[in-house]
Amino acid sequence: MRWISPTQRIQRPPQSYAGTVFRWIGLLILILLPCSTGIACAESPPGAAPASSKPHVTLRFVSWKPDHARVWEEVLADFTRTHPHISVVRELAPHSSTAYHDLLTQKLKNRDATVDVFFIDVIWVPEFAAAGWARPLDDIFSPAMRQEFLPAAIEVGQYDTHVYGVPSRIDAGLLYYRQDLLAKYGFIAPATWPELVRQAETVLAGERQTNPLLQGYSAQFKQYEGLVCNMLEFVEGHGGSLMRPDGTGSALSSPDALAAVQFVRDEVIGRLTSRAALTYQEPEALSLFLQGHAIFHRNWPYAWELANNQTRSTIAGQVGVAPLPGFSPGRAAAALGGWLYGISAYSQHPDEAWALIEFLSSQAVQKKFSREAGIAPSREALFSDPEVLARSPQLRNQGAVLHAATPRPRSPVYPAISHLLQRYFSRALAVDGLDLAQEAAITDAHIDRLLALTKAAR
Amino acid sequence: MTRRILLAGGILATVGLSLLPFLWFVLTSFKSQTEIEAAPPPWWPSGSLGFYRTALFDHHLFDYALNSVVVAGATTLLALLFAIPAAYALARLTIPGKQGILAVLLCVSMFPQMAIAGPIWRLLDSLGGLNHRWGVVLPYVALTLPLAIWILASFFKELPPELEDAARVDGCGTWGTLFRITLPLATPGIFTAAILILIYAWNEFFFALLILTQPEQQTLPVGIALFQGEFTMPWGELAAASVVATLPLIGVVLLCQRWIVSGLSAGAVKG
Amino acid sequence: MIRAHSLLRHREGLAAWSMVAPALLVTMVFAVYPVLDSLWLSLHHIFVGIPQLGSPFVGLDNYVALFHDPVARQALVVTLAFVLLSTLLELACGLIIALVIHERFRGRGLVRAAILIPWAIPTVVASQLWRYIFNDQYGFANLLLFGDRVTDYVPWLAYPGVAFAVVVLTDVWKTSSFAALLILAGLQVIPHDLYDAARVDGARMWQRFWHITLPLLKPALLLALLFRTMDAFRVFDLVFVMTQGGPGDATQTLQFYGYQTLFTEGRIGYGSAISVAVFLMILALSLTYLRAMGSNLLERRRP
Repeated sequence: MRWISPTQRIQRPPQSYAGTVFRWIGLLILILLPCSTGIACAESPPGAAPASSKPHVTLRFVSWKPDHARVWEEVLADFTRTHPHISVVRELAPHSSTAYHDLLTQKLKNRDATVDVFFIDVIWVPEFAAAGWARPLDDIFSPAMRQEFLPAAIEVGQYDTHVYGVPSRIDAGLLYYRQDLLAKYGFIAPATWPELVRQAETVLAGERQTNPLLQGYSAQFKQYEGLVCNMLEFVEGHGGSLMRPDGTGSALSSPDALAAVQFVRDEVIGRLTSRAALTYQEPEALSLFLQGHAIFHRNWPYAWELANNQTRSTIAGQVGVAPLPGFSPGRAAAALGGWLYGISAYSQHPDEAWALIEFLSSQAVQKKFSREAGIAPSREALFSDPEVLARSPQLRNQGAVLHAATPRPRSPVYPAISHLLQRYFSRALAVDGLDLAQEAAITDAHIDRLLALTKAAR
Repeated sequence: MTRRILLAGGILATVGLSLLPFLWFVLTSFKSQTEIEAAPPPWWPSGSLGFYRTALFDHHLFDYALNSVVVAGATTLLALLFAIPAAYALARLTIPGKQGILAVLLCVSMFPQMAIAGPIWRLLDSLGGLNHRWGVVLPYVALTLPLAIWILASFFKELPPELEDAARVDGCGTWGTLFRITLPLATPGIFTAAILILIYAWNEFFFALLILTQPEQQTLPVGIALFQGEFTMPWGELAAASVVATLPLIGVVLLCQRWIVSGLSAGAVKG
Repeated sequence: MIRAHSLLRHREGLAAWSMVAPALLVTMVFAVYPVLDSLWLSLHHIFVGIPQLGSPFVGLDNYVALFHDPVARQALVVTLAFVLLSTLLELACGLIIALVIHERFRGRGLVRAAILIPWAIPTVVASQLWRYIFNDQYGFANLLLFGDRVTDYVPWLAYPGVAFAVVVLTDVWKTSSFAALLILAGLQVIPHDLYDAARVDGARMWQRFWHITLPLLKPALLLALLFRTMDAFRVFDLVFVMTQGGPGDATQTLQFYGYQTLFTEGRIGYGSAISVAVFLMILALSLTYLRAMGSNLLERRRP
């Protein structure tokens, strides 16, 4: 039994207790001290007096953590070399569109004046514009400059006649497929969903013996932002739309939209693809395809690079890419995604911020990103640049898809609309015995009420 | 005999269930990407250290760990510094409004943290605490104080008051009695509270994510959350990082456990 | 004599206040003020995407809307089920763990450290770990159950009920040791002489457990229950990392819904109202527990 007699304790000289307290406080100061000094160093501009006559400016650039950290470091180092009076401090958020949005908007909601440059997802432009978070770039981003970018990318950066974003990277949903398997059974890339289902059934029947894990299709059906993209493609491909054409209301109850959701519920989940797709975001769906377990795969342009990467992919060199199918030929639709550079409305250094954006979106830097990191450009000219095409031949066909891609509903309350859509689609696909028409009507009513709120405020 | 069998069974079950999932992560951390994504997954790794290399050097895990040590250490010390006297006063002394204080303390620890995140953010903004490690320490202290005070107060209550009374008769002031008599007796309670605070501060994600956005200040949970790339699920790196992030705490627990459950027991003291 | 006594009391009162003041100050600034701020916000209508609305004071409108919100109602059901299941399981597991590590045996230190591992892993990482374990292609759960029969592998998280169960399981695994620590602290102050006396009276092990351990452990159990309930009601990290509320809203808790409205959608007033509602429910439950604890918690047990 290990216990100390209380009397022993009392007999200890009193100073030792005071000493203990002081030691604690000393330790505390020791621990807290590096915090404050470390910060002081981080915030003072490096070098006492910059060589250039311009006052030194520290820009803060908020982004998600990029996958190609090295390329980013090189690019930013190039920038500070050519702009010696500007240094760039990076603030990093997790690589999920929603988590990044929440972190950035927390700063902007509170008018954080330290943020200068940020990435904007194409779906946030109306919100950032309406809330007054993004600075209008009309005077500095001239129409002539805008013409050098893909028109769809410029269009998503605009809201209410102003332009808020400079395209960094533009995305659209694409259909990846196993060229070897399709060729083996004499198929070419399908133009319609029923055709895709037929091809998958034939291939699966033939391959079941050699690859029991093979599935027809892999895509993203988890309850998150990507679900809206996937379902938008089905609905649009069926001739429906998430919103009424005049943008005044939600159109989930339209026969085409209902039929498209019904198709995914009946023919895709649990049949064409495993039910597991209800838990998939991009990485999981892609992993399935790279393992050779899926014939068809829906993803953004970046997947090309990985699918043909010898170390990451078991199917390198056997991958084809095509526009997503529709429900009748020529009805195909691809969801528009991507990232823009924006300047915070609260930035105190808009000129330097613009200098950074101009540099990052320049032809030379986009080319570097494209060649060294496989990131698709947003400048029209680079889609026919021989050096870029040598590294990424698939871009030759992607220009057309990117031109025609469909944006998600454009509204300043899009985050709220998206949650309603995610909820509806996820319930439609995951919950047994659900009355689809009724759920659609309820969701329509909710979205209409949100839209009415924005209209009334105008 | 039944007692020994029960004990052996209990040890096996609790240790097994606690460790098995973690051991799977340990095994995963030594696998290669292909082994991780294989169906079925192999039980044993081929023994690759690649993920540790990526986690430690490419993702700068040590820097995050250092920040976590600073944040968790400062939080624990500060929270104890505030909680010990408060708990003692609440447990032993007559304070007008004692019940009110206890109620307020309990109430604030019931409030959803994301609702207070906005106000705290604004507060820190005006104090200049954003992107400073002390900026998370202060809210951590405030949020762990109620639990610490409640644990310590209920622990102090259990100590025999006779010794303290004697000390006071001998002319010891209230503070003196606390530091000379009560604290030494209360070590198990203090270490329990310390461990609870330490692990809270080591693990907290939400405030750290909002308040520390520069990599130089970010703590381990945020740093590990940043592993998630756009392209692949970084299971291997996550596994390696969580092994590295958990080891220091295992060390602390091993070091402290003789105080957490020291030989003190009421019966022995009363002897 | 009387004056001297009151002077003593006065000095004691001063010392007492000087002891409580620092803690109260920190709590006031970093907890009470934010709480009041968010109470105030919950009485306004604020939508960051529609700044033209301004931030009008709307009284209890947000709470009325919340009452009629079907998503909130569904989230309430999920939350209550989560709280009930997870706290009961954690208390049971915590009690077992505490009883085991309270015993003396060789290697007790290692066992204690091992048991604390789940709790020492950051929640964000633990959630990923369990998502990985229940992965449909290469998860540990599937490997354990089905071995090489990969075609039988189950996509656990794709079924609403199973996904919910996995979230509960993760929480139990993660936080049982927290409950165990609190219960252990309670076990340690149970005097040995009581057991010795009982043993002399011929009480069997089970009888000693039922008649001595459990009753004397009641305050510690209730304290653990109280803090676990408070945390379970506010579960967020787990859902955020594992399921994002899916599939089909099966794991959508009130707190995650509150996060979505407050942070993602920018409905500051409504999001605050959800948080206040969660708070009120926790408060009501806690008061019930506290009544059950009676004066036990901060009064001496033995005369």
